[in-house]
Amino acid sequence: MISRSLCLAATTAALLAAGGSGPAAAHTPLFACYDNFDGTVFCEGGFSDGSSAAGVAISVTQGDQAVLTGALDADSTIEFDKPDGAFVVRFDAGPGHEIEVPSDAIE
Amino acid sequence: MTRTLRAAAAALAILAIAPPAAAHFQLVYTPEANVDRPGHLPLRLVFAHPASNGHVMDMAVPLAFYSLFRGVKTDLAPQLSPIAWTGGVNAGAGFAGVLPVRRSGDYIMVLEPVPYLETAEDVYIQQITKSFVNKGGLPTDWHEPVGLKAEIVPLAKPYALYAGGSFSGIVLSDGAPVPGAEIEVEYLNHAPDLATNAFEAEAAVTPPSDAFVTQTIFADQSGTFTYGLPRAGVWGFCALGVGPDTSYAGKELSQDAVIWVQAYDMK
Repeated sequence: MISRSLCLAATTAALLAAGGSGPAAAHTPLFACYDNFDGTVFCEGGFSDGSSAAGVAISVTQGDQAVLTGALDADSTIEFDKPDGAFVVRFDAGPGHEIEVPSDAIE
Repeated sequence: MTRTLRAAAAALAILAIAPPAAAHFQLVYTPEANVDRPGHLPLRLVFAHPASNGHVMDMAVPLAFYSLFRGVKTDLAPQLSPIAWTGGVNAGAGFAGVLPVRRSGDYIMVLEPVPYLETAEDVYIQQITKSFVNKGGLPTDWHEPVGLKAEIVPLAKPYALYAGGSFSGIVLSDGAPVPGAEIEVEYLNHAPDLATNAFEAEAAVTPPSDAFVTQTIFADQSGTFTYGLPRAGVWGFCALGVGPDTSYAGKELSQDAVIWVQAYDMK
């Protein structure tokens, strides 16, 4: 029996081959960020079915300027230096699976 | 004879009119099973009769009280403080505590209480109890066995159940399923008031008769059970005497597994 992860991977591969991008799945993306109060911010992602968000693209922007681009690690987390001033953290797992967290929602 | 029936028989032997036979339930309570922000959630540990608001039993300092998050254990016992919890007929010794919640996922609270001597039955009762909080909607380990001597492992998210839906679980004794386990089910019928450390006097529902106060169901041959949840709120499930320990301090011990789940209205 093909596992759900393999099924998802196969779907993703098929989409990519067809010119699409990102996982096509019914699950909901989840993303949250926390202020470590030591000059850093910790963020974690995931999906409502419990599947990993490892490798999902993360960007931190101030206005139109990207101050960080990266990806969630194997634990579906990322930590970065907190920018001065307002910023937005963006979780981008493909179309329909994007979440933005503004700095004033980080506590 | 079930423990509830034995308790009723004992009460009848003493009283001309017996009170409703209700089940003992070890409560590990926090008002909201789903949170979306970090914080320190208030907890209450109370050994009581949640459906009938009957006698509140005195708790001793627990053998263990901790939370599990992604497999990491946090000892919650040092934060416990003794309280007197008031029920419908008396006040009993319980504990107040806090659950620190930060990252998203499932927080499993586990209480291993000291066995309680139920003098009406001359039996010790130890209810090893699990209760759950989820932060952020991210499911992590709610379905994983903790590895307790007596344990109910949920087969549906215990914090995300609809009223009118159902809850399923599997009863384990030292990790092995318990075929035909007897399970008592009660509704938390008197809302806990954390400000006064008391159950509210007013009941949420009035059972049609005493027979409804404690529901009794049995697991199937794989130790699995399912119960329809007819109303939003907090529901307790207690698998009776399923743990491997059968005696304590020279008397019979009922080592029970308790799990609390929360159902919500579909609005």
